[in-house]
Amino acid sequence: MLQNIAIGQYVPGKSFLHRSDPRSKLLFIILFATLVFLANNAISYAILVGFTLLTAVLSRLSLSYILKSLKPVWILIVFTVILHIFITKGGAVYYQLGWFTIEENGVRQAIFISLRLSLLVLMSSLLTLTTSPIDLTEGLERLLGPFGRVGVPVHDIALMMSIALRFIPTLMEETDKIIKAQTARGANFTSGSLVRRAKSLIPIAIPLFISAFRRAEELALAMEARGYRGGVGRTRLNKLSFSWRDASVAIVGVVLTLVIGWWRA
Amino acid sequence: MQITFDQVSHIYGKGTPFERVALQDISLTIPSGSFVGIIGQTGSGKSTLIQHLNGLLAPSSGRILLEDVVITPSKRLPHAQRRDIGLVFQYPEHQLFEETVAKDVAYGPLNFDLPEAMVESRVRESLEVVGLDYESIKDRSPFHLSGGQMRRVAIAGVLAMQPKVLVLDEPTAGLDPAGRKAILEGIHRIHVEQGLTTLLVTHSMEEAARYADYLLVMAGGQVVLQGKPDEIFMQGERLRALSLDVPETVAFVSSLNQLLPGEANLQSSLYREEDLIAHLLERLSVPKEG
Repeated sequence: MLQNIAIGQYVPGKSFLHRSDPRSKLLFIILFATLVFLANNAISYAILVGFTLLTAVLSRLSLSYILKSLKPVWILIVFTVILHIFITKGGAVYYQLGWFTIEENGVRQAIFISLRLSLLVLMSSLLTLTTSPIDLTEGLERLLGPFGRVGVPVHDIALMMSIALRFIPTLMEETDKIIKAQTARGANFTSGSLVRRAKSLIPIAIPLFISAFRRAEELALAMEARGYRGGVGRTRLNKLSFSWRDASVAIVGVVLTLVIGWWRA
Repeated sequence: MQITFDQVSHIYGKGTPFERVALQDISLTIPSGSFVGIIGQTGSGKSTLIQHLNGLLAPSSGRILLEDVVITPSKRLPHAQRRDIGLVFQYPEHQLFEETVAKDVAYGPLNFDLPEAMVESRVRESLEVVGLDYESIKDRSPFHLSGGQMRRVAIAGVLAMQPKVLVLDEPTAGLDPAGRKAILEGIHRIHVEQGLTTLLVTHSMEEAARYADYLLVMAGGQVVLQGKPDEIFMQGERLRALSLDVPETVAFVSSLNQLLPGEANLQSSLYREEDLIAHLLERLSVPKEG
């Protein structure tokens, strides 16, 4: 049931994207997000769409699988499209029915905003699809490193993140199991009144919470048993290192910024 | 209830990079009233197989017949029919959620709209089947019980639906020997009393030997051996090749047979501990007269 939901779940591979340093990927995402918000005409959006597709090809994952990451947000996208078409006014009038009009700016905004959302989601799924959670959090920890000096608990934040990421699939599996077990006992989640349907979630939520707490306790014990005492003095088995790939990511970033800066209105 | 699998395959995550064939072209028939042991290593497809029985998973291809109800990739099991198939998952105590034991056990029957008066008597009966005293346990919180008691309450929750087919996925995992025996004896008793069709997934050859009258051995998503327990246990080499083993009773009989002259060999049907002990005692006892 839930196995088919893959929100950016890491797919191991050896592509250019897989092998780049997580730090450069993270920094690039931040830059890309900024560029997406700077883009404001058809040409700059076309460049960004083309670039995203190129990146998708570079990841050597199937395009249809990458596009699946839009599944959780498509309602949001459709919703914004509708709102913009109906509410944003200005420019030529395309359609009129009494007081109700669809105007040029509305259509334009609808297209741009939906592109913006999709590009952001696609790019960040490409990050999580090609970066293992361990690399991702380590990259984040190293990037945030300087803030540690002013008292930000960087290591703990990174650890919390990696634990959260680590347990998403586990909890999904657990939810799936509990749903199945309660379904086998005749639970019905899809019919009945709203109140009844909400109530039918209790037999799932309670066991899920209990198992989450149990897991947390076990994990804490296991970490302590293996000598965990925070990030102080901890050494690493695999050190992150920059390579020619990261240099090229940086170059691509600069070029893309210049191109967008040139073409935006 | 007779259960038939007709060329059933199941593929997880079809169309994603995580695609995995869990069941491959399985055909089998389980006669009504039999006690079937399903054995196989972790990942051999046992759990996937049993989830097909009450429509939690739909086959990717092939069809399943539960008496006369047909399940195909496009046709799911109707809700009402679920009641006939009681499925006890691994670590079923993880699905407890109610405030009191009695309420938790009543969850299943109430979901199938049984009248309250009837539900109470069923809760009482099923708790007693698993060896718990209804009066003393009914108002306790299921979360304050011991692990073994929680397991029994969870099993009672499935029994209370009074299914015609009982499917148990490693019901004794992680329990102490006394707890294992108590649970399996209880299940075997209602299997006989109510004429259930029972499927028991287990890692333990001893459990399979003691209770099952038919065995399915699974490996790599396929049923590699099936038959009566003594037929299966005769193929010790094959089982060892699948990283399984014969029960200790069978190993004992075969090493004893190597010491005995051919005509005094013990029969391969003596794979149940009680039968074997009874037979040996009978052989060893000195005739009274003389």
